[in-house]
Amino acid sequence: MPSQVFPEIARVDARDKVLGQALYGADINLPGMLYAMLVPATIAKGRVGELDVRRATETAGVVQVLSIGDFPTLRPEISFLGQPIALVVAETIEAAIEGAEAVTAVYEASPFVALMSSPGAHRVPAEGFSTGDVESAFQNAATIVEGTFETPTQHHNPMELFGTVAEWSGGRLTVYEGCQNVDAVKGALAKALNLSPDAVAVKSEHVGGGFGQKSPPKIQTALVAQAARLTRRPVKLVAPRGQVFHIANYRPRSIHNMRLAANAAGRLDAISYDVVQENIPDGGFRSTGYHEDIARLYAIENFRATAADVHIDRQMPRHTRGTHPFPAGFALESLIDEMAHKLGKDPVQFRLDHQAKKDIIAGQPLSPHFLNDCLTEGAKRFGWSKRVPEPGSMRLDDGTLVGFGVACGIFGASMSASEATLRVRANGTTRMISSGHEMGQGMLTAIANVITQGLDINPDRLEIQLGDTTRGPQIATVGERGTASCIPVALKAVHALRAKFEELAGSNPPAGNLHEQLARLKRPYIEVTATELAPGQDPSALKAFRSGGRAGAGPDYPGFTSMSYIAQFVEIHIDPMTRRIRMPRAVSIADIGRVVSPRTAKGQMYGGVVWGFSTALREETEVDPRFAGYLNDDLADYVIAVNADIGNIDVGLIDQPDPRINSVGVKGMGELVMLGTAPAIANAIYHATGKRIRKLPIRIEDVL
Amino acid sequence: MADEGSTKTQTAGVTRRVVLATGAGAAAASILPLDESAQAQMPSAHVETGRKVHLSALINGQRVSLELDSRASLLDLLRERLGYTGTKKGCDHGQCGACTVHLDDRPVSACLTMAAKIDGRQVTTIEGLSTGQDLHPMQQAFIDNDALQCGYCTPGQIMSAVACVTQGRATDPDAIREFMSGNICRCGAYVGILAAVEQAAKVMEG
Repeated sequence: MPSQVFPEIARVDARDKVLGQALYGADINLPGMLYAMLVPATIAKGRVGELDVRRATETAGVVQVLSIGDFPTLRPEISFLGQPIALVVAETIEAAIEGAEAVTAVYEASPFVALMSSPGAHRVPAEGFSTGDVESAFQNAATIVEGTFETPTQHHNPMELFGTVAEWSGGRLTVYEGCQNVDAVKGALAKALNLSPDAVAVKSEHVGGGFGQKSPPKIQTALVAQAARLTRRPVKLVAPRGQVFHIANYRPRSIHNMRLAANAAGRLDAISYDVVQENIPDGGFRSTGYHEDIARLYAIENFRATAADVHIDRQMPRHTRGTHPFPAGFALESLIDEMAHKLGKDPVQFRLDHQAKKDIIAGQPLSPHFLNDCLTEGAKRFGWSKRVPEPGSMRLDDGTLVGFGVACGIFGASMSASEATLRVRANGTTRMISSGHEMGQGMLTAIANVITQGLDINPDRLEIQLGDTTRGPQIATVGERGTASCIPVALKAVHALRAKFEELAGSNPPAGNLHEQLARLKRPYIEVTATELAPGQDPSALKAFRSGGRAGAGPDYPGFTSMSYIAQFVEIHIDPMTRRIRMPRAVSIADIGRVVSPRTAKGQMYGGVVWGFSTALREETEVDPRFAGYLNDDLADYVIAVNADIGNIDVGLIDQPDPRINSVGVKGMGELVMLGTAPAIANAIYHATGKRIRKLPIRIEDVL
Repeated sequence: MADEGSTKTQTAGVTRRVVLATGAGAAAASILPLDESAQAQMPSAHVETGRKVHLSALINGQRVSLELDSRASLLDLLRERLGYTGTKKGCDHGQCGACTVHLDDRPVSACLTMAAKIDGRQVTTIEGLSTGQDLHPMQQAFIDNDALQCGYCTPGQIMSAVACVTQGRATDPDAIREFMSGNICRCGAYVGILAAVEQAAKVMEG
């Protein structure tokens, strides 16, 4: 049975964070610790012919240099600019930098492909998808809109750099590193260093932002561990931002050709969609993923998707916040707006009229959802009714062009098998061993809310442990499945603990809170372990969870599909002289099922609008075609939204559980929250100017 | 908080518990220059490199006197030598604001400040903003307005926010937004940060 509404509680780790006491990977200082610096390759493709580390070795303070041949990942074959070719380890950061700069290499360079548009780049088709009869829908269409949409290469750029501290003790390795998947890092380290997984611990108790960047294991982590093994001293590496640009994954550039057909009755009838993205051969980011979520957004029966990669010689692109539904949704939501305009319909009403009830990908019902409530609530709060439909018709007294725009977003509500161990002690403390990573999304606060609402315990002395492989298996905190995976099992643990206590206490429990009751019963503690599966999973998923395997499921479960939804509204002002684009206000309303932590969920909602604004109007990684490297590889030139960019944001959550997905009815939100903003901005710019901008980021020159 | 017991043993054999306790107070432990016996026990600890400079400064109210590599930044001095890891490295180029500290009451990027330049001066980091269990009004306002998510930029945001108020720049929302725009929050907590500065300004200005 779905849980009750949760009250708002303060973020449980906020105090540590405002005091500067929350420890991130690079904050660990150990006695005798050495400092490392990577040496990046300066070609995109080819071989290292000669590598001269003599001057580096002789640099005062340098203790160890690992170079080509010293470790499997220090390979002479170069496949991207910035690939590490050496690691210099020294007594101080300054000496490590000096040593790294003293390494010289002679390369045998090979031709490379830097961009999708580079000579030699070609299309490598992937598997497509088709349902219904798209051909005849377009033949019989009364109205067709189409466009080519482009979204740029973008880097996640969490504020925390790649920081790694490695320490060996008695043949066992401990690594401190901010990441979203400690179990994967542990597995990769065990493999790279030929260790039993039992001999490796990875700790990531606080993560300074992830956004997808810290999900896969990193090339430098095992190098740092190897350096610590060789030197018999702990080693710390904090990779400079410019290097992170070249070794981290990123959002690939993608180009979307989309056509939308409406029949004579003005109803949407078919989508034809082709996408091509930059990728590496056998890359981990599938071009076949773009259509999957957006095909479920509206009631459109006929859908055909084709996809392809263009292979490039750069490092691997991967998931970035919003992942596939972000670029795909930019295309779809822009075209929906265009279609509404062409049909003379209001863009909000047009969306309301196409409420989806069926998942055309899996061929089964969608779990009941509240996208239309998001739209109507958002329209009300925004004052959508004040919108004058004609483009260019709204202006301020000083001539500022005003545009109102709306767009929606959708993201699959996936889950993972999970486990939790809850112990309440007579001494007033409570400990929950959970699974996942706290990256700022508020997972700890959500778990704390479930426990403190369900048990009469001392909330100030509740400790929740996660992000640490020594505590037990840790779910990959990706694809907005973290909360949906740990919260149902936390609730189950609370119920189990209550039941166990009732059994213990009998019909006449002593007075006081749970700690006092235990003390009076002369029980030092009471402990339960609970497990939970996603719908349709069998116990093998739990086995996979415990062994670091794939334990996820959804968003299509047996008999139904569950998605998260958002509707976002923006007001755009364009300066009549400079054409500067501003966003004085935005409204964002989401259906994420039951809201477990209202305060941190709202934090995500605000942050999502900022991310959306930033992707729409600021961020683009500039690839230098001469070197296949990144020109703007720092935070001055890779422009991210700042405080002065952001106006008033009003956020709301529908807070209706999806009873089919789990016992709490909670769905994810971390990716969803940014999805509608960019297309809403593009639609508002159209409303302000009459210009359809079909590429991101949108710049002043696009609205001249 | 600092326990005296950990002070002398810091370099000799730090347990994980001690390391993880590194925060406002525990940081004070490593401020003391190494004594002879500590160096004998761990000769590899804090070997300085390059051209060495001597500096003496007041950091969070405590006298610090040490030798270090002349190339060291204030940020690396704070984080790696003194254990004040609340000050964060986000770019090392003065572009993100995560390392904002107060140098003689003015906000500076610790990454752009040569450590040698603080000789004879006063530095306040996030660890020195409040004492004991009491929070600075700005720290309390950041909690009350949930002006943070991952928390990595938060110490720098708070140090800038305090300066925003003390320098008389928290006059209206746009002025606050402008002042605070040198501190990037990738999680996008700007709405909360604005509200926090407004709340704390009222308290700080009485």
